[in-house]
Amino acid sequence: MEGWDPNTKSTLTQIPLLTTKAGPRDGAAWTQRLKEEYKALIAYTQMNKSNDNDWFRISAANPEGTRWTGKCWYVHNLLKYEFDLQFDIPVTYPATAPEIELPQLDGKTQKMYRGGKICLTVHFKPLWAKNCPRFGIAHALCLGLAPWLAAEIPILVDSGMIKHKDDAASSNDS
Amino acid sequence: MDDELLELQRQFEFAQQAKSSIRLSERNVVELVQKLQELHIIDFELLHTVSGKEYITPEQLRHEIVAEVKKLGRVSLIDLADTTGVDLYHVEKQAQHVVSNDPGLMFIQGEIISQSYWDSVAEEINDRLQECSQIALAELAAQLHVGSELMASILEPRLGTLVKGRLEGGQLYTPAYVARVSAMVQGAARGITVPTNLSVLWSTLQQLLLEMEGGSGVAVEGSFFQSLFNGLVKEDKVLGMLRAGVHWTPTVFALAQKECVDSFFSQNSFISYEALHKLGISQQVQFLQSRYPEGIPLVTVFVHPSMIEMLDSAIEDAIDRGSWIDSLSVLSASFGLQDASKILSNCPSLHSALKANKALILGDSYIFSSGFVKDVYDRVEKELEALSLSGSYGTVQGGGSHLTKEAKSGNDSNRFSEQTETASESGNSKRGVEKGSKKKKGKSSGAKVTTTEGDSENEDYIPTKSKKSQKRGKDTSSSQVADAKAGGKRDSGKMQEENVPSEEWVMQKLLFLVPDFEEQGVDDPQIILGHLANYIRPMLINYWKQRRKALFTENAEKMRHLLDNLQRKLDESFLNMQLYEKALDLFEDDQSTSAILHRHLLRTTAASISDMLFLNLEKHNKLKIGIEVEESQNSESVILSSGERIAIAKSFPGSLSKKALVVAETLEGKRVETFMTALRELAEESGLLLKKLDKKLERTLLHSYRKDLISQVSAETDPISLLPKVVSLLYIQVHNKALQAPGRAISVAVNRLKDKLDDSPYKILTDYQSTTVTLLALMSAAAGNEDDCSADRILTKRELLESQMVALKGLVLGPSQS
Repeated sequence: MEGWDPNTKSTLTQIPLLTTKAGPRDGAAWTQRLKEEYKALIAYTQMNKSNDNDWFRISAANPEGTRWTGKCWYVHNLLKYEFDLQFDIPVTYPATAPEIELPQLDGKTQKMYRGGKICLTVHFKPLWAKNCPRFGIAHALCLGLAPWLAAEIPILVDSGMIKHKDDAASSNDS
Repeated sequence: MDDELLELQRQFEFAQQAKSSIRLSERNVVELVQKLQELHIIDFELLHTVSGKEYITPEQLRHEIVAEVKKLGRVSLIDLADTTGVDLYHVEKQAQHVVSNDPGLMFIQGEIISQSYWDSVAEEINDRLQECSQIALAELAAQLHVGSELMASILEPRLGTLVKGRLEGGQLYTPAYVARVSAMVQGAARGITVPTNLSVLWSTLQQLLLEMEGGSGVAVEGSFFQSLFNGLVKEDKVLGMLRAGVHWTPTVFALAQKECVDSFFSQNSFISYEALHKLGISQQVQFLQSRYPEGIPLVTVFVHPSMIEMLDSAIEDAIDRGSWIDSLSVLSASFGLQDASKILSNCPSLHSALKANKALILGDSYIFSSGFVKDVYDRVEKELEALSLSGSYGTVQGGGSHLTKEAKSGNDSNRFSEQTETASESGNSKRGVEKGSKKKKGKSSGAKVTTTEGDSENEDYIPTKSKKSQKRGKDTSSSQVADAKAGGKRDSGKMQEENVPSEEWVMQKLLFLVPDFEEQGVDDPQIILGHLANYIRPMLINYWKQRRKALFTENAEKMRHLLDNLQRKLDESFLNMQLYEKALDLFEDDQSTSAILHRHLLRTTAASISDMLFLNLEKHNKLKIGIEVEESQNSESVILSSGERIAIAKSFPGSLSKKALVVAETLEGKRVETFMTALRELAEESGLLLKKLDKKLERTLLHSYRKDLISQVSAETDPISLLPKVVSLLYIQVHNKALQAPGRAISVAVNRLKDKLDDSPYKILTDYQSTTVTLLALMSAAAGNEDDCSADRILTKRELLESQMVALKGLVLGPSQS
């Protein structure tokens, strides 16, 4: 599990692992899988909150639970930068990891594919494959999005690519 | 839609809505605390841990320290600093605070130790002590890592309560052990019967204990034994006296000592201090005097008055009989010389006898009645006189030397001086050396030749005997007083008394005269004889000196006479010699003849002169050192060989000897002149005068010589011996020189006369001479083979010569008569 900072690692190990191997087309099995996903997400969220480290909000956008939307944020220099978050559960899930998108940042950084999908580290895919089907959405957020935000947001802020919403508002005003 | 799923969705929603707990960073907290302090909301000192993550109040720290101490009883501050996580500085500060507030704690070498800890330690120690019966304090201290002094101070209040035992010299003992050792000490102390150094005893006991415990036990200190022993003595469990803390004298011993002294003294009526010393009594005199107030302390023994009475009666008896006594022979063997002299001073009869001049004490212990001594002295004096009259007492010495009598007596005399010298040297060496040097100086600086001669003799003979004499000198060194006296006399007086009789000689004489010295069974008669001899010797020396003086005046007269005689004889013959020497000038041009003539003169006249001189000088020397020389020999008649001459010359002292040797050598040489100069030097050295020949003297001498020759010639009947005389006479007539020519030189002498004489007388002379030569040749040939023919021829020749004699006589006598 090299490649991640110790904080991430310790958090990751605390997220409950999943057991059911089922994709969105598997009917009841998927429902079962979805339940586990929720349980993991609940545990992860509670953990973050108890550590004063809450950084996202998501919810299923359709009843099947194949599309998820929400927000994520990052605090840099005591300023909170918030972005929209969305992703679909791929058909080959859980063998394939969901592709997390930050549509607001599309085109603002190189670490991103077309459509706002974030580029993950080289370590992510093997680790995910290795842990299939034990890793779920919570793990993808923890391993994928959290490090990405921590690495990219300070650079984007410093380079002026993104502005705090207050600043943006003030600059728009002026 | 599954209910469960919906429920989960709701739950997730709810979880996301829940308010997240708010956390403060460390930095915020530190800032907050600082702020609180600034605002004096926290108004007490706040400590922080070493890690910097925690704040701690001093009260808490103290509390923790106390808790820690209570837990273990003993905590080191360093450990405390570790466990509390607070800096050592604060820990120390608070620990001091804690200790000062709590009397049950103490602060020792960076450790806090509670009394309860000590109690538990004491209990442990007690357990161990009961097991081992003894423990060394040092060992305990080392185990507990505290100082042994502290250990002792801790243990002392607990002895008897927590620790059942006693502390003695850094050791802990159980009462049982103490009782056992005490019993051992008591046994040992009671077993001692002689005075003993207790420390020795303790060391043996220690050894014993070690053996008993098989090395496991700790060595017991001597002081432990000592304290036990002191306790025993106090309780009268052992009897005796303790001196200086370690010298133990048991009562038993003291009793035995007293009994022993009592019995010995009452039986022998004396006791030597040495015996007391052996018994272990150190201050013998005080001891004895306090016990026997009537006794008399001497130097090495203590005597009862009865002893003096006994000695007194013996001495009285000896004095009355006119005999002698050795007080040591009366007293027991343990009496020394000094004791004898001291006890003698206590004898009443001896005192009275000494006052009345009836007795003599010699050598501390010998008592002689004066009558006895006088008798002996008279006899020795007679002996000495007899010997000195005979001129030699070398026979008594028994030294087997093969020298002539005179030489020997001289030698002996030197030996005497040597002996006395060594004796006094061993007595008081400094003075002796001084004296010796003085004497030598006196001798060497003395212008008189004869004194130095004595010295040289000394050097020649003494080395062989000096060792012996030195040994003897040591024997006699005990009598240094008398010797020193003699030495003093000698110092002030002259050196003549070198010939005084030696002590040894006197002793020998005494032994010879009073044989009862040996008969009486004296172990070493030498000692008493030595004392007696020492007493007698000064008187003898005096007597001897007087005799010597007389002898010297006699000798001086003789010497003067001898010298006068010698001078006279020397003058005469030397003048003749000079006369003959002059005649040699005539033949100076003829080498071979001159050599012959020179040698002839040396062989005849010169030899006789030097012999006469040598013999007289020798005699003079002997007279000088005081030897009587018999006048009987007629020295002139003696003819010495060259070897004898050299021997005599060597016997002369110093430079004289050298000169004399030169003379002896020149006699063997070929030149008369060298002999003459050597002889002159010799004469000068020996203080004689040699007269020079002057014209007047020469004439008179020649005249007398001529007359002498004429009378000889006219009286001569032997034709052969007539010739040289005639030739000599002719030389006087012709050259006015006295010629002494040997037979071989005659022909040359005759030839020389040729142009001085007329033809006819010369013819007569040559004829006679040739006839004499042929006659002599014949005679010498005849000596080889007895031949009638040659005898006849000799006879005819002799007759021929006899016939010519008249003519020859006429030749020389004629002119003189005319």
